[in-house]
Amino acid sequence: MGSKPVIGTNLCKWTVSYFALAVVWLLLAEILMATGFGFPHDDIGGPDTLVIVHMVCVGWLSTVVCGALIQFVPVLVARPLYAERWTLPALALLTLGLTALLAGFLALGGHFNGPLWLLPAGAGLLIAGFALVVANLGMTLWSARPLPAPARFVAVGLACICVTAAFGGMFALVLSGTDLGAQWPDLLVSGVPIHAIAGLGGWLTFTAMGVSYRLLAMFMLAPDGDAKLGRLAWRAGAAALAVGVVGGVLTLWRATGLNLVLLVAGAAALLSLVAYGRDVLGLYRTRKRRALELNTRMSLLSLGSLAAFPILGAASVATGSLQSHAGALAFLVAFGWLTGLVLANLYKIVPFLTWLETYGPVMGRAPTPRIQDLVAERRASKWFVLFFAGTWVATLMLLLDAALGFRIAIAVVTLATLGLVEELVRARRLADVAEPLRLPAGAAVPRLLVLRN
Amino acid sequence: MTAEDDDLVARIKQALKVVIDPELGHNIVDLGFIYDVSVDDGVAHITMTATTRGCPAASFLKEGVASSACLVPGVEAVDVTMTFEPPWHPSMISPGVKASLGFAELN
Repeated sequence: MGSKPVIGTNLCKWTVSYFALAVVWLLLAEILMATGFGFPHDDIGGPDTLVIVHMVCVGWLSTVVCGALIQFVPVLVARPLYAERWTLPALALLTLGLTALLAGFLALGGHFNGPLWLLPAGAGLLIAGFALVVANLGMTLWSARPLPAPARFVAVGLACICVTAAFGGMFALVLSGTDLGAQWPDLLVSGVPIHAIAGLGGWLTFTAMGVSYRLLAMFMLAPDGDAKLGRLAWRAGAAALAVGVVGGVLTLWRATGLNLVLLVAGAAALLSLVAYGRDVLGLYRTRKRRALELNTRMSLLSLGSLAAFPILGAASVATGSLQSHAGALAFLVAFGWLTGLVLANLYKIVPFLTWLETYGPVMGRAPTPRIQDLVAERRASKWFVLFFAGTWVATLMLLLDAALGFRIAIAVVTLATLGLVEELVRARRLADVAEPLRLPAGAAVPRLLVLRN
Repeated sequence: MTAEDDDLVARIKQALKVVIDPELGHNIVDLGFIYDVSVDDGVAHITMTATTRGCPAASFLKEGVASSACLVPGVEAVDVTMTFEPPWHPSMISPGVKASLGFAELN
């Protein structure tokens, strides 16, 4: 058994720095897509598309999820973070690693005459950064055994980022033409599904599912004390990931049977998603808080995208068009589901952290505003509507193979993202808090990119 | 407790209303976070809870309770105990606040 639970945990200084860097990567990726860089104008597996995919999945989603987890895992398990001093070096390694990796892809695509060792160098730095995050969160979870249900999802997610990073490292060795990489000629063909399943499915989606159990219960005031809650979703999801990853590696070794493995993993994943959907509906029905805030309503919209994914996927399999629709499906998961969910939750987490940082220390000595006083939901809701509408239209355009339509839709998504980023900056600056509550004696305006803890 | 102590307890409870749960946006007394207040020789003993044990807000709430009770004339020292037994439940919220939060029927 681990250590004793504590009351209250500290704010992590660098959480908002993770968020800020992540948002910069997201905007960069969106702008590049709107200008026609990468898929669908270029090959889905081409270097330009790899630039976009890694900007979104590593720069945006992984960075933002790491930033949220270093703050939220301690809340989930009521234990302090194992080593806060590791969080800034991890962010630096992730950022440097991604920059080198993207430069490697750009060199591979002939955009500049760079050395190919940029790819393994970038991958090595990224692996080091993820290792630091995984070790930090892993040790925090280890101290809290037996784990509550949401934390068990996170534990599987952490295992999956290790698999994803290991495959990414091997790809980098193959793509850069090293002698070691030359020993695995088929790795890029058969290994990519495992890399993508472990990354998008295990690390990002499974972690987000787990954390959302607690967040949805907290924000909707729904009872989540039932030990069975999330059990089937976790078991089926963990089984799907185990089959996908272990089976995938075995078939890679034996060079046959990948389709069967993917089919079994897909069936288990579907069961996990259905169980998760049932759990979320259950929480929604038993909620005590009838009037939901914008972040929860928008999280539910992103769940709609997640629900659409298996339906579109099954339809593509049935019509034999899975190969040609893979890009649209991946886009729906990365933007409609994950990006939508993350933006919706940032809209709560950033004001929440800002509130604690600014008003926590003066509480009891002076009247303080509510967290809701730091945001202007009506203004933000139009950006969210624009974001989801743009994302769904962009998915449709990919399904219809309409490249120009996709670019226009992405331009709308970019505009909406900019609007939402401005809302987050306004929350950090306390711009929407009315006087006289805005700055009671002893409180100071927060710094934009670093939390005072 | 004397009538004077009762009066002091009432004043402490009133003072604690300056502390709000930032997420729910209401003071912690009406939200039912304060389980007990007693006074013993000028020392205020307060037993309270929070919605989530590990939440960073929990320690700020505890400190806020101590700070606000300290400001009440007649209180010489404050002793705050945070407990999660029994765990807080929405049924502990006062009826007026429930209505303003748009609450469902509680069972």
